Amino acid sequence: MSYSILIVDDSLPMRSVIKKTLKAAGYGNSELLEAANGEEALALMKKSWIDIVLTDYNMPVMNGLEFIKVLKADDLSKEIPVVVISTEGDASKIREFMDCGAAGYITKPFTAEAIRDLIVTILGEVDYEDAVDDSDTDFDF
Amino acid sequence: MKTQLMTAIQTSISEVMETMFFLPVEFGPEIPIAESGMDAKKLVCELAFKGDFSGNLILMAPETLVVEMAENFMGESLENLTPEHLDGTLTEMLNMVCGNALRKIEAKTPFELGIPKKIGSTLFETHVFTIVETTDSKMAILLTLDE
Repeated sequence: MSYSILIVDDSLPMRSVIKKTLKAAGYGNSELLEAANGEEALALMKKSWIDIVLTDYNMPVMNGLEFIKVLKADDLSKEIPVVVISTEGDASKIREFMDCGAAGYITKPFTAEAIRDLIVTILGEVDYEDAVDDSDTDFDF
Repeated sequence: MKTQLMTAIQTSISEVMETMFFLPVEFGPEIPIAESGMDAKKLVCELAFKGDFSGNLILMAPETLVVEMAENFMGESLENLTPEHLDGTLTEMLNMVCGNALRKIEAKTPFELGIPKKIGSTLFETHVFTIVETTDSKMAILLTLDE
């Protein structure tokens, strides 16, 4: 099963790490799209079907919370699950994200297992054969 | 409060460096950066935070160490790394350290982080930084709290 997964983070290295983590977790056949902030993500979502969004919170132009609010206010996109991946892990902040409709929350630094387990919970298990056989992909952080 | 936060920052640096960059660290003395022996080209970034108390965290590292961190972080070799990758690696490291450290501090209101940004290295030659030693290199951090 392949999905269309949108990664929203202003950090180019972090987007790269999340992509590698997803490939190692079995989503290698999925389409992995990137945006540097909420505004870019919304523009991209007008052109592409997205199954799940992984977004940072603290971004310029449009942060993750503003992005989720816009997404959830639109009938066309309100059912798309959004996972927040952020350094800010205060309980009240997490509650704010969940109250706005986030499907899950992962704090940085994260483990690959944390991302994989949450996405599997939301999207379902992927075939192991879908995992990318990439010896450079370190899955053990 | 500064001592408590600095302790949390040091714990977070250890956690982030080992978890995301596979580099164990030890903490060295607090000395002026000019006396640190970090003579190579340095990259510097800063991140502001506000909440029950507000301040800035500044991180300085030689470019050679940032290259090693970026290689470990992204699993990419040097020829595939751009200046944007290096700057992004250092700012993301600072972002994770600061967010992780502030989570360890009891606060009445949640802390808000700014956007980490790259700054010039020549601004801090006389400032006293805490040295963070890796196996083959060192970086430096400076915490300032607003009055």
